[in-house]
Amino acid sequence: MGEPDTAEPDEARRIAAEARDRVRFEEEALALADQVYRVARRFVSTREEAEDLVQDTYARAFRSWQSYTPGTNLRAWLLRILTNLNVDRGRRLQRRPDETPLEEHDYYLANTVAASGGEQVLDQDRVVERLSQDSIVTALSSLPDDFRDVVVLVDIGDFSYADAAQILDVPIGTVMSRLHRGRRLLKSKLAEEAVA
Amino acid sequence: MTDCDKCEQLLQGYLDRELSDTEVTEAELHLDGCDYCRRRYRFEESLRTYVRTTAAERMPPGLMAKLAQLRTTDPGTFTV
Repeated sequence: MGEPDTAEPDEARRIAAEARDRVRFEEEALALADQVYRVARRFVSTREEAEDLVQDTYARAFRSWQSYTPGTNLRAWLLRILTNLNVDRGRRLQRRPDETPLEEHDYYLANTVAASGGEQVLDQDRVVERLSQDSIVTALSSLPDDFRDVVVLVDIGDFSYADAAQILDVPIGTVMSRLHRGRRLLKSKLAEEAVA
Repeated sequence: MTDCDKCEQLLQGYLDRELSDTEVTEAELHLDGCDYCRRRYRFEESLRTYVRTTAAERMPPGLMAKLAQLRTTDPGTFTV
């Protein structure tokens, strides 16, 4: 009550509080950079593109930090920006999802690999040992965008179906069906690689 | 719908830890008694682990410094 003018100190406190929030936001966002990059890297074909995409994402995130609601999933928020930038700039690897129906059963990969080795009994645990790191990267990059995005978010980004739905702005049922289809395609691509 | 068809439906959510408690119990009951589905489950699980570990590439050195340069605030003024 003794202060002659409280307006100025209030304003100063508000500005200081906002500055603190902003620094905190930037530090929390930077702490997630490696996880954001891992997803970005599988969305595009080269390391350089992934680096550009992550830098553009952070530039936009730092500019529009006030649209982030504290306490919500910051990693999902960053990935939403990244996904939109990737779509906007036409950097996606392929333009349209492959609508060709799949003939292969889900067990195709395991059966194909087993058959190629002349094994009578399917040895589940050894199937993936036959695949190289290159095969999974090649197989992932060959998936149609819509399927790959979901597989990458859930399997590499470790996002829940709900987060993936929010990031891609699609219903959760769409995430589940694209994931199912994407993984089936992935398995058939891996099977091709494994026997090649 | 057979139990295996039902389990096939539940398998994806089970592996992704997206099922309700009731559905988890249902899936596990079936897996306990069905060799075919159990082998499939193990295969799917090892494939997911494989994808997760092999396709995840670490951030290249130098990128963090570039991102830090994009900051609008002065680093070090506040520590989380």
